[in-house]
Parts: sequence; structure tokens; C-alpha cells
Amino acid sequence: MDALTQFFAAIAHFTTPLFLFHVAWATLLGILVGSLPGLTATMGVALLTTLTYTLDKDAAILVLICMYVGAIYGGSRSAILLNIPGTPASAATSLDGFPLAQRGQAGYAMALATAGSAMGTIVGIALLVLLAPALAAIALDFGSFEFFWLAVFGIVISGQLTGGVSPLKGYIAGILGLMVAMIGSEGIHAHIRFNLGFSELNGGIALIPAMVGAFGFAEVLTVMLRKKPVMSAKELKEDRILPKLADLWKYKRTIGRSGIIGTLVGIIPGVGEDIGAWASYAASKRSSKERKEYGTGSKEGLIAAETGNSAVVPGALIPALTLAVPGSAPAAVLIAALFIHGVRPGPMIMIEQPDFIYSVAAMLFFATLAITIYGLSLTRVFILVLRIPREFLMPVVFTLCVIGPFALTQRIFDIWVMVGFGLVGFVLRKMNYPMAPLVLGIILGSLLDKSLRRGLTLSNGSLEPFFLRPISAMFVAVILLSIILSLPVVQKAVARWIDRLMPAGKRGEEDQ
Amino acid sequence: MNSESPMADRITAAILLLLGGAMCWGGFIMDRLEIRQIHPSSIPGLLPIFLGLILMVCAVFLGLSTRGKTRPSTSEASKDSENWRDFSFAAVWSCLFAIVMVSRIPFVVASAIYIAVFTGWYLWRPSGKGGNRLKMMLLVGLYAVLVAVGVSVLFRYGFLVRLP
Repeated sequence: MDALTQFFAAIAHFTTPLFLFHVAWATLLGILVGSLPGLTATMGVALLTTLTYTLDKDAAILVLICMYVGAIYGGSRSAILLNIPGTPASAATSLDGFPLAQRGQAGYAMALATAGSAMGTIVGIALLVLLAPALAAIALDFGSFEFFWLAVFGIVISGQLTGGVSPLKGYIAGILGLMVAMIGSEGIHAHIRFNLGFSELNGGIALIPAMVGAFGFAEVLTVMLRKKPVMSAKELKEDRILPKLADLWKYKRTIGRSGIIGTLVGIIPGVGEDIGAWASYAASKRSSKERKEYGTGSKEGLIAAETGNSAVVPGALIPALTLAVPGSAPAAVLIAALFIHGVRPGPMIMIEQPDFIYSVAAMLFFATLAITIYGLSLTRVFILVLRIPREFLMPVVFTLCVIGPFALTQRIFDIWVMVGFGLVGFVLRKMNYPMAPLVLGIILGSLLDKSLRRGLTLSNGSLEPFFLRPISAMFVAVILLSIILSLPVVQKAVARWIDRLMPAGKRGEEDQ
Repeated sequence: MNSESPMADRITAAILLLLGGAMCWGGFIMDRLEIRQIHPSSIPGLLPIFLGLILMVCAVFLGLSTRGKTRPSTSEASKDSENWRDFSFAAVWSCLFAIVMVSRIPFVVASAIYIAVFTGWYLWRPSGKGGNRLKMMLLVGLYAVLVAVGVSVLFRYGFLVRLP
């Protein structure tokens, strides 16, 4: 009850003309960024962070959260109309959204995507309000030993789930991120490591230039490498752009389940919206009576994917706020932005700023309202936006990539860092190395390093507390299990075991 | 060389092995700060040593995972979906802008030139010949100047950033 009161108090706090104006423009900008292939939510949040220095704390965080929610939702536009996900989070949306558009139901597909996104975020907000304070309370018992394993857990799980068919590449990306974090002054003795003779590296590699490079410049290069997309010829033949309530009621279980799955995926460090969408889509398909329609224009599939990816947003903010461990790449940038604006995310947040979590929930609520209004009223405008030629758009994006990191520290060196990360990020992407573990590694490197050395100092060099304290032991068990299950030999053995357990007839049904 | 081929993975594995070795060695020879009498378990090189070792192990596994794999056949469809000429220009011109032009000439001028050349390069051929092309290039020039001035004014006077 107390949580609900605080949530409504936060809603009242943000119901002012100025805050509502910020919600309106930032969400609209987010939808535009998300709907344009090549511009991702992470890049949008990173670039906008550089534009929010002069705003006060509440307005700045509100703007960034609206951008985040808007961009994740906006990705569905191009997924439905171009069969190209505007952001990776909308990859599952294109499976059923594009076939619907080809049947002349693009407007209705976008209406369903809007409804799914709105409801997914609402489910996520409810879970954020319920779970975040509890998680923060648990995290108060974390010491150096637990934080060490939490950081390892984040890298391992993120690497495994985002690495696709090769978790090894996910692990490597995570380790490379941790190695980047080793550059510059370390956090215990202030000793400068690996600066290679450049005094500019004494402070380490800043997150914002690295993120803008890996997600901005690399995206510009990726877009220019692709041939121009072709819009669905049958777009918007049908006029209906409002979802039918009967359809939403029919798929209420799918919406609830996808919302919960999305939020839980969001809580797992560094996993992100795309995995949330795929997990929700797979779970929905498995339990659906209409599973044969999946991939050919299933409304249920479309709702599951969109609900799942949007629910990840509040979910990703749960560990970001309570543990300072991001649940997704955009949440990683948000953590950096929180520090810039004087908010210290972590276990102490419920003690230092007990109302902040409810403020974030209220910000998410306003962003959800805005995507619903825009989604249902501006469908045709968004289609026009998709027609902006990339030749006009990409140089502007890159110009912002250059000036944004510079604006933070006024150092030309940060522009070079951005370019370096952009080129390396592009090559890694081409070789199927996921970016999320790399980013998570950069964020968690300092925590991992300080926790390991502080823990060893506290235990006088003994490794016992790292393995015998209850929460640490639990983390160790989960990490070991994850690594073992990612080994091809073990995966084959498990598949054989499942084959033996499941009769052939049942298997055939599942495959359909 | 295909970026997804086993050969690419083998070369990456070799580079990662070297990188891991370098970090491990760098951590090992790093100052142990005995003069400050710190706890021996809190030496700054501790985690880099571990990270270097783990990266080397991963590199070995990456190299081993390519055994028996053949180069994936590149289908016509996937060849057609990529335009390396456009990409090369975008990459080289963007790097030139960021590394050479910015800081040497005023940002507003540098960004106007960058945007005009970037957009003009891609629209030169599709815009046809004669009057159409001239009209398109003028439009591109106007667009570049407007965007460059807009971005510069926003950062200089909106966010009070001293431009490079």
C-alpha cells in the first residue's frame, strides 16, 4: 500500500506542464530513433545523455527513460513495414508483423504492437515497484565476495544468452569489456594501469564515448553496408489503426506471460530486449493453439514479441537501480547518466533516495502513455519518417556521435575513443560477437576488480569466503551450471537424454 | 576473407591469444606497491593476470572450435545484400572527419563539409545529369549548412559547450 501511495505521489510530481512537455518530445524522438533502421535505443540514450547535462536531475532522467521506452517501441515500425527491425529488440516482431503488412494489415499490426508494448511496460512497472525495494534490501547483505560473483554472473549469463550459437564469443566479448575497464587509475590504490604512455588514458576509457562508438558509429557503418530496404508494397491498405478489444482479451494470457518473462529477462544482467522478445515469443508459441500460424502473420506472435521486449525495459532498470548492474545495454548508459546527474544507483538507493524507484516507475508510466497516444494516432507520420533517405540521416547521426562525447569532457581524445570503438565494434559485429557483454564488461570491470581485491584483503588472502558464504555459494553454483550447460558435449548429452525421455509422437507435436 | 569463416576465427584466436598473453604479462610485471606496504592480495595486477589467462584459454577454445569446419558458402542473396563500396566511403570519410578535420578547422565548417560530401557522394549518380544534378547538389549543400549550423548552435548556445 505504501508503495502504491509513493507511486501516485511520483505521478503527481511529474504532472506539470514542463515535465509533460519533456515526456512528449523525448518519447516522440525515441520512437523516431527506434523506427529508423540503424539507430538503436542504446545509441539514442547515449546521444541524448550528452544533451541533458543542463537539465535538472528529474527532467534529465525522465527524458532518457522516455527515449529508451520510445525507441524500443519504435523498432516495431520498421520491423512491420520493412521487415528490418529498427532495433535488435524488434527482430521477433518482424516474423509476424511483416507478413501481416504484406496482407494489407500493416495498420492493424502496428496497433497490436502498440497495445502489446504498452501492456508489457505496465506489467514491468508493476514488477519494478514490487521487486526493486525487495532486491535492494537483499543487496544490503552483499559484501565484496557477493559483488565479485555478481559481476562474474553478469558476464557469464550475458555472454551465454547473447552469444547465440556460440556462447564462447559472448564470453570473449565480456572479457574484452573487462580488459577495457582495467585501463587507467584503479579504484583501491589509485595506481595507473595500462595507459600505454598516454596521459589521456590515466582516467580510463569513459563509457559514453565507448558506447556512442560501439552503438552509434558501428551502426552508421552497418547501415551503409546494407542495400537500401524496400517498404512493404501493401502497407496500410486497411484503415483500422486501433486494436480490437476482443483480440486483446483473447490473448490476455499471452500478454501476462510475456510481460512477466520480459521483466524477468530484463532483471538478468546484460541480456536485453531482444532476448526478452525471443523468450516470450518461444513461450507463447509453445503453449499456443494457433502455433501453426506463427511466422506467417500471427497476431498472438506479434503481441508476444512486442509485450516481451517492452517489459524488459522496467525489468532492466531493477538491477540497474538496486545493484548498479545493468539489465540491458541502454540501461548501462542510464547508469552512467544517473551518476552524471548525482544519483548513486546501488543497494543504498532505498536508504539514500527511497522515493527514486517510484519516480522511475512514474517516468515509465508517462512514457507508456505517450507511446500509446503516439502509436495509435501518428501511424501514418511514422511511415513518412521511414522514407527519410539514409544518405541524409547517417551523416547527421555521425556528426552527433562526434560532438556528443566531446561535449562531456571537452577532450578531442574522446572523439578518437569513439572512432576506435566504432571500428572495433563493427568488426566484432561482423564476426558475430555480441556487444551487450562488452558493454557490461566495461561497466562491471571496476566492481569485479575492487570486490576481488577487497575480498581477498578482508579474508587475508583466503578464498574460502568466496565459496562458503551462502549467497556466494549460490552464485558459484549457477555460474558453474551455466558454463557446463553451454559446452557442446553437455548440450548434446542433454539433447539425447531429452530424446530418450520424450516419446517420438509427442516430439513431433512439439516441433509443429 | 569472409568475416564468419573458420579462417577469420583462427586469426582472431591468434590475436586474442597474444592480447591475453600481453595482459597477463603486463599484470605480472606491474608495480606491486611494496613501498606502500599494501596487502599482497590487493596488488593492482591481480585481476589483469586472471583476465589475460582466461582470454588465452578462450582463444584456444575458439581456435579448436574451427577444427573440421569449412568455409561457409556465400549465397548470391547475401552478396547482394551488402554494398562494400558505399561502406568503404562512409568509413574512410567519417574517420577523416572525426580524426583530421575536427579540431583543425572550425566545427561548423568541418561538419558542413562532411555532411555535404557524404550525402553528395551517394546522390551524385542517382540524381541524373545536368539541371537535375545541379538542383540536387544545391539542395544537399543547403541541407548540410542548415544541419551544421543547427547542431553547432544547439551545442554552443543551448548546452554551452566550447566547440572543437
